[in-house]
Amino acid sequence: MAIIETENLTYTYPGATNPSIRNVSIKIEKGEFVLITGPSGCGKTTLCRCFNGLIPHFYQGKLEGEVFVAGLKVDEHSIHELAKHVGLVFQNPENQLFALSVEKDVAFGLENLGVPRDEIRRRVDWAMKLTGIYHLKDRAPNELSGGQQQRVAIASVLAMKPEIIVLDEPTSFLDPLGAENIFKVIYELNRKFGITIILVEHRLDLTAKYADHIIIMDNGEILLDGETRSVLNSEKARLVGVGIPKATRLYQILKKDRVNLRSTIPLSSDEMAAMLEEVLKSK
Amino acid sequence: MSVFDGLKFRKVKSPIHDLDPRVKFIYVCVIFAIALIFWELIPLLILFLIQLPFVLLGKVQRQWLRSLRGAAFLAIIIFVTNFVFSFIGAGYRFTAESLESAFALTFRFVVLVESFSIFFLTTSPDNLSLALEQTRVPYEFCFAFTTAVRFVPVLANEAQTIMDAQKARGLELERGNFLKRIKNYIPILIPLIVSAIRRSLELAEAMESRAWGATKNRTNLYVLRMNKNDFILLAITTGILITAVYIRLFIPIPSVCELLEI
Repeated sequence: MAIIETENLTYTYPGATNPSIRNVSIKIEKGEFVLITGPSGCGKTTLCRCFNGLIPHFYQGKLEGEVFVAGLKVDEHSIHELAKHVGLVFQNPENQLFALSVEKDVAFGLENLGVPRDEIRRRVDWAMKLTGIYHLKDRAPNELSGGQQQRVAIASVLAMKPEIIVLDEPTSFLDPLGAENIFKVIYELNRKFGITIILVEHRLDLTAKYADHIIIMDNGEILLDGETRSVLNSEKARLVGVGIPKATRLYQILKKDRVNLRSTIPLSSDEMAAMLEEVLKSK
Repeated sequence: MSVFDGLKFRKVKSPIHDLDPRVKFIYVCVIFAIALIFWELIPLLILFLIQLPFVLLGKVQRQWLRSLRGAAFLAIIIFVTNFVFSFIGAGYRFTAESLESAFALTFRFVVLVESFSIFFLTTSPDNLSLALEQTRVPYEFCFAFTTAVRFVPVLANEAQTIMDAQKARGLELERGNFLKRIKNYIPILIPLIVSAIRRSLELAEAMESRAWGATKNRTNLYVLRMNKNDFILLAITTGILITAVYIRLFIPIPSVCELLEI
């Protein structure tokens, strides 16, 4: 069974007339790096909330269809039970750090779970080292930059050793360099520890190269779902306006002009450059 | 605001900062109590002086001085009212005794400010909440306390942003009479409250996602342990308390006027 599986998932927030997501059926395999994208208000955040039980437990509202996460049926298990399997990182780093020091914040989830002190110490140090914030451990969260704060948020989720980490636009408050660093950290977690990553992101130029699987949503529905290169190369992806990587777009234009390029679709400027070099050399 | 500035904690490494907040709190309470049982100038002066080593050991002289300066205004009011009343009480006569007692009562206030400011300047809010937790205060309260401390600078920042934004739209804060000025702050308060509520929702979401309330037996990364210095402070505190009570009960305290034979 896939690590996340939804079947005809439809959800309406309390007080809303129309559902925010409709008939969502997706499958995410263990160890995948999944990118979810789509225009603003298309239901990406709502979908993320379904993965760790915030929907339906925290938001209530009307949930139809089924969601299984790590083999657990979401509506039958409490949020704190699911928190051991799924970590959720939010958009605004400021509002997800509560403690007065970085270290204490990273420990927060483990303390809540009642993990013994030695084990907390070990896991907190491990998570802080992996995310590169060990030197900040005694600082207060509001003394840190946005990028550092977001890395603290990732570390605090990571310390709980979830199988899945869901990141809901983690870089929208950050500068490009800070964003790039966050993506690298996430990618490393995915490759080294096999943690399933679900990343909601607009900046495909920076992130598409990391993803094995991409899901494009529009208006609460799944528009495209599949392997990154082929999905991004499709006409539909371009028309929905998700801002496909510039390299991919350039490839499409050159292909149309009958330039003899390889058939693997490039996702980053590095890949595109290599491809062009190859063509130029052969001439 | 300078009184509050003097209470703001700054991270410094010192033997006083490392003390157990519970012991420090007992110390502050004892000093408080002793200050209340004496009304003569000499013991209150001594009480003021024996705290100076703590300030120096804690390396918080500057902030401590600032908190005293912040309290100066109140101290002057206390001095003047006491002096005026004893002046009237003595039949409109100026006496050295009334001057001394006004000084004594002012010093009582200064001692209270001094000890509290030492406590807050050398105790991190984190440690304070840990102390509360270990004295079996429900975790929800400790959490509320640390979160409040954490979000004070964030909200202050936000208030500033809103103020700037409203001023850019033509709001004039420093105009009109007293009532009008209060009214001027409504366009700042409402967005601030709305955004604080929104923020609290996001916080709740993040807390839930990190297993808030998963178990009744919550553990803690840190634990407060009493070590040598804490026991020394406890001993000193007990010593001061016993001496003070003994002096109060059995030894007549001379006033400065008597000593100088005025």
